[in-house]
Amino acid sequence: MLHAVNLTKKYQENLALDNLNLVIEPGDIYCLLGANGAGKSTTINLFLNFIAPTSGKAVIDQIEVSKDPQAIKKLIAYIPENLVLYNELSGLENLEYFVGLAGMKYQQDELVSFLQEAGLQSEAFKKRVKTYSKGMRQKIGVAMAIAKRAKVLLLDEPTSGLDPKASNEFSELLLRLSQQNVATLMATHDLFRAKETGTDIGIMKSGKLVEQLSTEEINHSDLEKLYLNHMNN
Amino acid sequence: MMVFRVAKKEILEMTRSGQFKWMLGIVVALSVVAIYISHVHWQEKNLQRELAQEDARSLWLAQGATNPHNAAHYGTYAFKPQFPLSLIDPGVEKFTGVSIFLEAHSRNEADNVAAADQTGLSRFGDLTPDFILLFIVPLMIIALGHQSVTKEKEQGTLRIIKTQGISNQQLILGKWLGNYAPVAILTTIIFILAALFIRQIDWKFVATMWLVYLAYFAIVNSITLVISSFLNNSGISLVILLAIWIVSCLAVPKTASSFTNEKHPYPTRQEFDAAVAEDKKKGLDGHDPWSEASKKLEQETLQAYEVSKLEDLPFNFDAFRMQKGEEHETAIYFKHNEKLKEVHQKQTQVYRSLAFLSPFLPTRFLSMSLASTDYSTHWNFADAAEKHRVEMQRVLNTNFAENSKLGEWSYKADASLLSEVPEFNFEAPDFGEVMDANKSNLLILTAWLLGSFALLFFASTRV
Ligand SMILES: Nc1ncnc2c1ncn2[C@@H]1O[C@H](COP(=O)(O)OP(=O)(O)OP(=O)(O)O)[C@@H](O)[C@H]1O
Ligand SMILES: [Mg+2]
Repeated sequence: MLHAVNLTKKYQENLALDNLNLVIEPGDIYCLLGANGAGKSTTINLFLNFIAPTSGKAVIDQIEVSKDPQAIKKLIAYIPENLVLYNELSGLENLEYFVGLAGMKYQQDELVSFLQEAGLQSEAFKKRVKTYSKGMRQKIGVAMAIAKRAKVLLLDEPTSGLDPKASNEFSELLLRLSQQNVATLMATHDLFRAKETGTDIGIMKSGKLVEQLSTEEINHSDLEKLYLNHMNN
Repeated sequence: MMVFRVAKKEILEMTRSGQFKWMLGIVVALSVVAIYISHVHWQEKNLQRELAQEDARSLWLAQGATNPHNAAHYGTYAFKPQFPLSLIDPGVEKFTGVSIFLEAHSRNEADNVAAADQTGLSRFGDLTPDFILLFIVPLMIIALGHQSVTKEKEQGTLRIIKTQGISNQQLILGKWLGNYAPVAILTTIIFILAALFIRQIDWKFVATMWLVYLAYFAIVNSITLVISSFLNNSGISLVILLAIWIVSCLAVPKTASSFTNEKHPYPTRQEFDAAVAEDKKKGLDGHDPWSEASKKLEQETLQAYEVSKLEDLPFNFDAFRMQKGEEHETAIYFKHNEKLKEVHQKQTQVYRSLAFLSPFLPTRFLSMSLASTDYSTHWNFADAAEKHRVEMQRVLNTNFAENSKLGEWSYKADASLLSEVPEFNFEAPDFGEVMDANKSNLLILTAWLLGSFALLFFASTRV
């Protein structure tokens, strides 16, 4: 579903992403780990077409992202670290608007069911977003992905700053979506969640993917050791 | 349509913000007050004018049996009617007179000829509907729209939007519509309110003026969104847009006005009067039988009628000479006023060529023209008053010449002569004439409209 082929991004002399090769299949939850500045966001932004690659290509569902960005938009959903919505609109109205911008029109009861599916408590649906907590806003992001029937989720540290319960709920949502064959690429600093939720893990360092493994192959403490090892070299 | 979804959301967001409610409330209140005050003034002035006009006519008729030349010196007034749409745009009325004294031997001016500011372009600060439309509404558009795109960039919502599928063009067009809708509704309300107060409404004029202002606001709205699209910071966007507002609505009109007056200055009142007096001295004076010109006229007339004495002429030569003198003076006034008019026309030319500098200018000119409160209409009025004066002198002098003998200054015409002098009546130019005279303004406004849309399209590719 998601392919990075020799994907490279240079900012002047700074090699932000160095020859990345990556394959993510439907149902996979691929977690990108790595220190600040390792190139995780750069990778995600290349798949989002927010930036253009210096060389190589990002491919989603056989379509090269920079060649046909409009076609890509139909497939993807993006949740950043801090999903900002329109404060003066309710969660329901925000959902309706953003889904509308994807060219989809739903009845109110359908929209409500997406919010329920994303785990937002029903008292909040009609409240203005300015009264929402961060966790509630991230749930609107998940509801947007569900409503859009996205085949690919691109998540940039979506759970950072969430409390453990909210973080856990978010992971469960991801698992449910992966059962529906959604392919997920998620940047995170949370080793524990990556092991719990992810199917695959990639460790990045200075723009390079230095380690790839399946979460089934490793336990929590070994993962931590491996990660720190890479960071200390 | 996605465009309408964006517009709907923009409006929904606006209606929920306190800032918007306050702003709209203030502008609506200002508009209502402006229209009401203008209406009261309009009615007052109209009543005054109607009363003064009736007064002048009855005073004229009340002279009864009188010497025609006395009546000519007694004189009367030509009044410019108060035009309905001056309620919305009083234009240059402030600088031009509304009445002209019509008498023997001189063409009087309404007090406009040498007024310092010939244009009224830079008139600022009167709470009239045109002030709100020309200055305040654009400010409102800027206040509402300056952060339309920058805010989405600052918050990060633009990133989410960009992953949704809507194109930049659709997004910006939707924002354009969302920002324009409240302004269009407000403009329509202002015009409907004003129309309710206007007597003898001519819909062609009102509708066209409404469209002119809608076009003006569309241009301002596009420029606002262009700036908001290009920039990343709402504060900078606001500052730049305010600077654009100051330049287009204040600086450019003011500069255009001084530039034009410098390039084609009007003579001062003194210069004008001196030039007229100079020319008058050179020619026939109807009251002076001893001047060279008088003697020459005497000879020619005696020859033409093949008589040897003035007494033998079939008419009163005194009155005949006065009519000839009048015709001579009329020609002098005509000549000098033509010069003024030439200056006016040259100025108009310059203004037209400068109108591309700011959409404010063509809008201002069209608005005044449609309201019949521009300088051209005033010139038409002054010309009509002069024509009326000439006709009045002709009627009076002819009666004098045909019904009295030479030297019979005590002759009194029947009172019915006074009503033979028609009442002065001035009609504003009709719709076709106004459109014809404003072709270049319409063209430039249209060019601005299209140009600003083109720029907006370009800006939307850069979001
Ligand atoms: N717009 C930019 N211009 C120049 N350099 C950039 C730009 N964006 C990112 N970089 C550089 O690219 C490198 C990778 O940054 P990136 O944001 O991908 O890191 P990251 O792994 O997401 O880090 P973090 O954990 O802090 O989010 C860094 O060295 C960063 O300084
Ligand atoms: Mg990052």
